[in-house]
Amino acid sequence: MLEVSTVPVLETEGLERRFGGLLAVKDLTFSINKGEILGIIGPNGAGKTTVINLVAGIFPPTSGKIIFQGQEIQHLPAHAINRRGVARTFQNVRPLEDFTALENIMVGALFGQGQNLAKAREFAREICDLVSLGNFDRYIDNLTVLDLKKIEIGRALASKPDLLFLDELMAGLNADETAEMIDVVRHLQSRELTIIVVEHIMAVVRELTQRCIVLDGGAIIAEGSYDEVARQEQVIEAYLGKEAQHAGGKEFGCYLW
Amino acid sequence: MMKKVLFVAVLLLTVSLPFFTGPYFLSVFNTIFVFMSLALTWDMMLRTGQLSYGTSGLFGLGAYASAILVARAGFNPLVSIALGGLFAGVTAFLLGFAVLRLRKIYFSITTLALTTVFSVVIRNLPKLTGGASGTVLPSALFNGDPAANYWMIFGLTLGIIAISAWLSRSKTHYAINAIRNDEITARSSGIDVFRYLLLMFVITSTLQGVIGAFYVQQYAFVQPEATFSMNFLLLPLAMALVGGVYSTIGPVVGAVLLGLASEYLKLIMPYGHLIVYGVIIVLVVLFMPQGITRPIMKWLTRKTNVGGVNSASIGN
Repeated sequence: MLEVSTVPVLETEGLERRFGGLLAVKDLTFSINKGEILGIIGPNGAGKTTVINLVAGIFPPTSGKIIFQGQEIQHLPAHAINRRGVARTFQNVRPLEDFTALENIMVGALFGQGQNLAKAREFAREICDLVSLGNFDRYIDNLTVLDLKKIEIGRALASKPDLLFLDELMAGLNADETAEMIDVVRHLQSRELTIIVVEHIMAVVRELTQRCIVLDGGAIIAEGSYDEVARQEQVIEAYLGKEAQHAGGKEFGCYLW
Repeated sequence: MMKKVLFVAVLLLTVSLPFFTGPYFLSVFNTIFVFMSLALTWDMMLRTGQLSYGTSGLFGLGAYASAILVARAGFNPLVSIALGGLFAGVTAFLLGFAVLRLRKIYFSITTLALTTVFSVVIRNLPKLTGGASGTVLPSALFNGDPAANYWMIFGLTLGIIAISAWLSRSKTHYAINAIRNDEITARSSGIDVFRYLLLMFVITSTLQGVIGAFYVQQYAFVQPEATFSMNFLLLPLAMALVGGVYSTIGPVVGAVLLGLASEYLKLIMPYGHLIVYGVIIVLVVLFMPQGITRPIMKWLTRKTNVGGVNSASIGN
């Protein structure tokens, strides 16, 4: 495993986001160091994807600070944040359907990095190799879910990010495909990339992450290594409710695999 | 190779048209080129995913700017055509900051409303614009010489075709296609959505203004109803749909087909041609939603490359 430095790539301070009467994210303060893979877990509706949307600039926070590589970015639009080095995939894949797989990935290089057409094409080809995407000349409607997920991650990588969000990358994949995807993500760690994984499949979280934060109701309820947080009472409670805990839930992971 | 030969042949034929046809055919093709240009500009904006109903508004704005410059300030008509385009472009730039925040039907309806606003404003400035009865210019462009006017609009159309074709090979093509497909993905991939929308809105509006200015100089007459006529929106829209949207060849083919069809139908069935015209559009949209050009191109490429290579690279 790679040495994790102690320089924070991303820090948030008292991050909050309100949707009408709902406080989706409340007083969220966390940080991630360079080269680290951090997991964000929590039950449905805990605010995981909202955290990604806030950092990526899809919408601004109601209050609080987002500091990326030493600079506040909470006021910046999404495209500017991407150009500074934050990329993300989408939980429900969002490919560009009038493009081939390769062109989808090119978009990241063209605009995230500001490369010209020839260079972007070349770079996108390299990315296809990196994520082992073979069918890159095909249009989106001829591709499998696994290929679409690879396009998601490929387009994000093509913008040469320093920080990468993977939002439920494994959802909808079978066991073999999940294993392949885990290999792809592991491979990325050697590229000086800092990664935040939002995931429901606990085996994947255990496999990939060094540290986890657990969200419930938009706030952090636990933090630590997967094995540490998975045994904490409030985490089991958040996932399974009080009853399950009394029914003898020892480690919540086993219920969720 | 075949494509290039065909292109040069069509080009030579169209350039030399005035040498072997009379004023009637020239005026038919003149009109076709006007609508072809508008169809191309409408399609260029549609490629960003924004369905504009403002084509006739910016056409009319360019027309009025040019007419006023000639009638009230004695400008050279050719200079006034360029300035007419510039005026439409600057107006689009300013309005863009408000209009381009809107999406889908809200964008469409607002651009349509702007057309009405322009014509109401113009109607209520009689000293400057001639009000509801319009203004007659002292003389028509090139003194009404059909060949010169034909070459002028042909040159303008060729320029717009070139811009459209160049756009679909440029980096901008990737940006606007991405915006059309999924704006959230586009934003998250570093694309400044507003900037590209504004760029396309200004380019297409400028070109619409130029065409409007040429049109009014050619006929030496502006009048709110005629100049802001819905024809300058609906006909180009129909042509692009029939030919095939998101391409250069589609609006070109659509304009020639519908332009010739309406001219022919006019002769055999005065005014009834509009019904037949409508039926053609409905049939094409129902049974060939991609327009007629794409299937034909696909069929042609299958014929020439035995083995059926990816025929998806059509469209420009």
